[in-house]
Amino acid sequence: MSDRLDLPQGTLDLLILKSLSLGAQHGWAISERIQQVSRATLQIPQGSLYPALHRLERRGWISAEWGASDNNRRAKYYELTRAGRRQLDAETEAWERLTAAVALVLRMA
Amino acid sequence: MFSDLIFRLRALLNRGAMERELDDELRFHLERETEKYVQAGVPRPEAERRARIAFGGVDRIKEDARDARGVEWIDSLLQDLRYAWRGLRAKPGFTAAVVVTLGLGIGANAAMFGIVDRLLFRAPYGLIDQGRVHRVFVRYLWAGKEQVDNSFAYKRYEDFRRLTRSFDGIAALGERRLAIGVGQNSREMNVGAVSATLFDFYHVRPELGRFFTPAEDTTPAGATVAVLSYGFWHSQYGGATNVLGQSLHVGEQIYTIVGVAPENFGGIPDNVPPAVFVPITTFASSRSADYYQNYDWTWMEMLVRRKPEVSLAGATADLTTAFAVSWSQEFPDTRRFPTAVAARARAEATPIHMARGPGASRDSRVAKWVMGVAIIVLLVACANVANLLLARAVSRRREIALRLALGVTRGRLVRQLITESLLIAALGGATGILLAQWGGRTLRTMFLGAEGAGGVADARTLIFLTIATLAVALITGIAPALHALRGDVAGSLKAGTREGTYRRSRTRTGLLLFQGALSVVLLVGAGLFVRSLSNVRSMPLGYDVDPIVYLEANPRGVELSREQQNELADRMVAAARTVPGIENATLTVSVPFRSSEGRGPPKIPGRDSLQKLGRFTLQAGSPSYCATFGTRILAGRGISDDDRAGSPPVVVVNDAMARALWPNESAVGKQMRIGNDTLPFLTVVGVAENIRGFRLSGSEEFWYYLSSEQYKRLYGTAYLSVLVRVNGHAENYVEALRRRLQQEMPGASYVKGNTMRELLAPRQRAWRFGATMFVAFGGLALVLAAIGLYSVIAYAVAQRTHELGVRIALGAGQGDVMRMILGQGLAFALAGIAIGSLIAFWAGRWVEPLLFSQKARDPVVFAAVATVLLLVAVAAAIRPAVRAMRVDPTEALRSD
Repeated sequence: MSDRLDLPQGTLDLLILKSLSLGAQHGWAISERIQQVSRATLQIPQGSLYPALHRLERRGWISAEWGASDNNRRAKYYELTRAGRRQLDAETEAWERLTAAVALVLRMA
Repeated sequence: MFSDLIFRLRALLNRGAMERELDDELRFHLERETEKYVQAGVPRPEAERRARIAFGGVDRIKEDARDARGVEWIDSLLQDLRYAWRGLRAKPGFTAAVVVTLGLGIGANAAMFGIVDRLLFRAPYGLIDQGRVHRVFVRYLWAGKEQVDNSFAYKRYEDFRRLTRSFDGIAALGERRLAIGVGQNSREMNVGAVSATLFDFYHVRPELGRFFTPAEDTTPAGATVAVLSYGFWHSQYGGATNVLGQSLHVGEQIYTIVGVAPENFGGIPDNVPPAVFVPITTFASSRSADYYQNYDWTWMEMLVRRKPEVSLAGATADLTTAFAVSWSQEFPDTRRFPTAVAARARAEATPIHMARGPGASRDSRVAKWVMGVAIIVLLVACANVANLLLARAVSRRREIALRLALGVTRGRLVRQLITESLLIAALGGATGILLAQWGGRTLRTMFLGAEGAGGVADARTLIFLTIATLAVALITGIAPALHALRGDVAGSLKAGTREGTYRRSRTRTGLLLFQGALSVVLLVGAGLFVRSLSNVRSMPLGYDVDPIVYLEANPRGVELSREQQNELADRMVAAARTVPGIENATLTVSVPFRSSEGRGPPKIPGRDSLQKLGRFTLQAGSPSYCATFGTRILAGRGISDDDRAGSPPVVVVNDAMARALWPNESAVGKQMRIGNDTLPFLTVVGVAENIRGFRLSGSEEFWYYLSSEQYKRLYGTAYLSVLVRVNGHAENYVEALRRRLQQEMPGASYVKGNTMRELLAPRQRAWRFGATMFVAFGGLALVLAAIGLYSVIAYAVAQRTHELGVRIALGAGQGDVMRMILGQGLAFALAGIAIGSLIAFWAGRWVEPLLFSQKARDPVVFAAVATVLLLVAVAAAIRPAVRAMRVDPTEALRSD
C-alpha cells in the first residue's frame, strides 16, 4: 500500500479534465484511464469520481449526455466544454508552476 | 454562472429524474467493474464484492453527488416549509391568532408608512437630483419674536435671482383654488401659478404640446397660456389631442391651452397636484398691478437647486447675503425699522420635504409620532407571537430532544424553527397588505384629504412590507430558537411533558411585561389626544360653528362699479333669507380661519405705538351680525338698524381689545380712529366677547366691528361675502343657498359655499388624527397584551395541573387557588402599569407641544389607563383561574 498516493486536494478535478481532453468518456472509463496512466500509483476511491463529475458539470466545465457504450449499454458520457478546456489549461499551468517551485525549494534547502 | 443556475434549477425541478439518472450511472459503473473482474476469471459473486469495495459506500456517494448539484439547502428548506405548514394546519386556532396578530401589526405599519414616506422621503416624480433641490425659508426677529416664513413677494424672488450665485435653478410657485371652466360646468380646483423655470427642475417631457417658456412668464404680465395636468386632461377632455389651442377660463382670466403635463407630474412638491399650471406673472397681474414692484403681497414659495460644487452651508450663506440686501431695499428707513443685522435676518436652503424643514406642520409631526406608535404596536405583536411560539417550543421539548438525539444538528433545528416563523410572518404580511389596503385608504383620506387617497400597493410600500416581514420573522423566531439551543436532551427525554414543579420562563415574563408596559404608554397617549381633541372641540370660539354657512361670490367677466358691488352684496343677503330653513344672514368682511381685513392699529388721541399690542382685525356686518354668528355682546350694544350710512359712526370692540386699550376703564363711549386722519372718529358703543379667527391657542385676538353700511361709506366697497345661520345642519343647506345666490350673479361670476365646520376642520385635524390613531393603536396593543396575558396564564395553569392537584389534595380551598391565579395576572398588570407609566411620564415632555391645553402628565389619564389595564388583566386571568379552581386532584395526580 505504501507505494500508493492519496490525491492532494483539488487535483481530482484536474485529472478528470485532463482525461476528458482526449474525448468524451463515461465515468468508469475515466476511472480506468487515471488508474492505468498513473500505473496504479494514484489512490482514488472510484465512487468519489461522481460527486466531482457533477460539480464540474454544474460549473459548466464539462457537459453530459447519455449514449450507447461499447458493449451497447446506456451510459452517461462526459465531454469538455470550451470553458472546461480553458480551465484545464489554466490549472495545468498553475500545477506546473507549483510543482516546479516546490521541486526547486526541495533541491535547494 | 448562467449554466450553474440552469443546472441547479433542473436539479431542483427534475429531482426525480436526476435521482434516477444518478442510480443508472452508478449501476453502470459497478457492472463494468464487475465484468472486468469476471473477465479476469474471478467468480461473479466475488467480482461483485470487489467492485463494491473499490467503489466505496454508494449511499454516501449519492449524498455527495446531490450536494455537488447544489440544491440540498433548497431541498431542506422545502422540507422545513412543508413541516412548518403541517404544524400550522394542525393547530388552526393558534395559527389564526398568530397570523391575525401579525397582520394587524404589519398592516398598521404599512398604512402609516404610505403617509410618512410621502411626507418625509419620497422624491417628487421626475425631480432632478433631489438632494440639491431645496425650499427657501427666511428667519428674522420682528416685534421681539423670531418669525419663520416661506411665503414671499414676487419682488423678493427677483432679488434672490439677481443676488445669488450658488444656484443653477430658482423657481417661484404659488397655489390658488380657482374656478375652472364656465357656468354650470365650472368647478373650483387647485391651480398652480408657477414660474417657467420650475419645469427645468424636472426631467419630464410634456405629454402633449409644450410647457410655457420664460418668454411667456415676464413682468408686468405673462402670456395667458396654460398647461393642463394629465389627470385634468383625462377627466375633463377625455384625453383628446385637440385640446391644444382651446381656451380655458381659470379664475378671472381666459387662457389658451398649450400643453399637457405627463402623468404623475405634481409640479409642487408635497402638495396635491394642481389641475392646471399657468405662468406666475400672468396670474399675479390679475390680482395686483404692482405685485412685482413692492414686497407687500407675500403669497408664493421658492425652490432653488444648488450648483453641484456648492455646499448646503454655502447656499444658505449666499441666500442670507442676498436676503440682507433685499431687506435693506424693503426697509430703507433704518430709524423706523430694524436693519437686516439687527433683525438677524437669515435665509436658509431647507429640505424639499416640508415636514423635514422648519415648516413642518403639526399634522406631519403627529404623523411621525403615529408612525412610531405603529412600530410599537408591531413590537407588541411580535412579543405576543414570540411568546406563543415559545410556549409551543416548550411543549414541543420532547419532540425537539428526540430529534436532537436522532442526530439532527442544532443548526438544522434552528433553521427549521426560523423557517416556521418566516412562514408565519409571511402569512401575517399577506394579511397586513389586505388590512393596509382597506385601512390605508381611510387613513390617507383622513390625513391627506380625499385627493391624496390612492392605492397602497406601490413598490416602496411593498419593499417596506417585505423588510418588516423579515424583521418580524427574525424577532419572533429568535426566542424559540435560543430555547431549542439551550435544551438538555437527556433531561427532556427523561422528564415527562411536565415536570413536578412549574418553572416560569424568564423570557416569557419579560416579553409579557414589555407588552403590558407598551400598551400603557400607548393608552396614555390615546387618553392625552382624546382629551386634547375634546378641549379643541369644546373651546369657546366666540361664535357658533355648526349652524353657519359661509358664501362668497367671485366676479368674473364683468366689471362692477362700487355701487353695483354694494348693491349685489345686499341682494345676496336678501336672496339668502328667501331660502327655507334659513334663520338669519349678514354681510361680512373677515371670516375666521379663512380671510381677514386689517387696517392697522386704531388711533387714539394721546396714545402712541399701539401697533406693539399686536394685530387688530376689522369686521363689518349687517345689524343682524351678532344674531347670525352667535357672538355675544358683553357690555353696551351691538350694531343696530340705526347705524346707517348717515348716522354717527360707531364701533364695537371685543373684550381683549377693550382691556388692552382701556385697562381698568369702561370702553363704551371712548373714541378711536381707523385708517388715515381724514376719516372720522368712531365711538365705541359696545364690547363683544372674544373670538378666535387665526389660532386656536395662544394670546387672545383683537377684533372690532363696524356696521356694514358705515363701512361702505368710510372705506368704499362691501365684500361679496355672506354668513348665514340655518335651522339645522349647515351642510344640508350649502347647495340650496349656493344655487339661490348664483341666480343673482352677473356674467360668468360664480358663488361658492362652505360650512363653518369645514373652514375649521383643518385646524383641528392634527388632534382628530392623533386621537383616532392613538385610540385605534392603543386599543390594538391592549387586545394583544390581553391575549398574551391570557395565553401565558392559561399555559401556566395547564403546566401546573399536577402541582395544583397536590395543593388541592393537601387542603387548599378553591378560593385560594383562584386568588393565586388571579393574583398572578394582577401582578403582571401592576408591573406593566408601573413600567409603562414611567416611560409615559418620561416621554411626556416631547408629546406636550402636540397637545391642546393638556398637560402630558395628567393624573386623570394615568389613573384611567391603570384601571383599564387592571380590568383587562382580571378579564384575561379569569378563565384560567376558574379552570385551575376546578382541577380534580385525583385526575391530576393519576395522569402521566
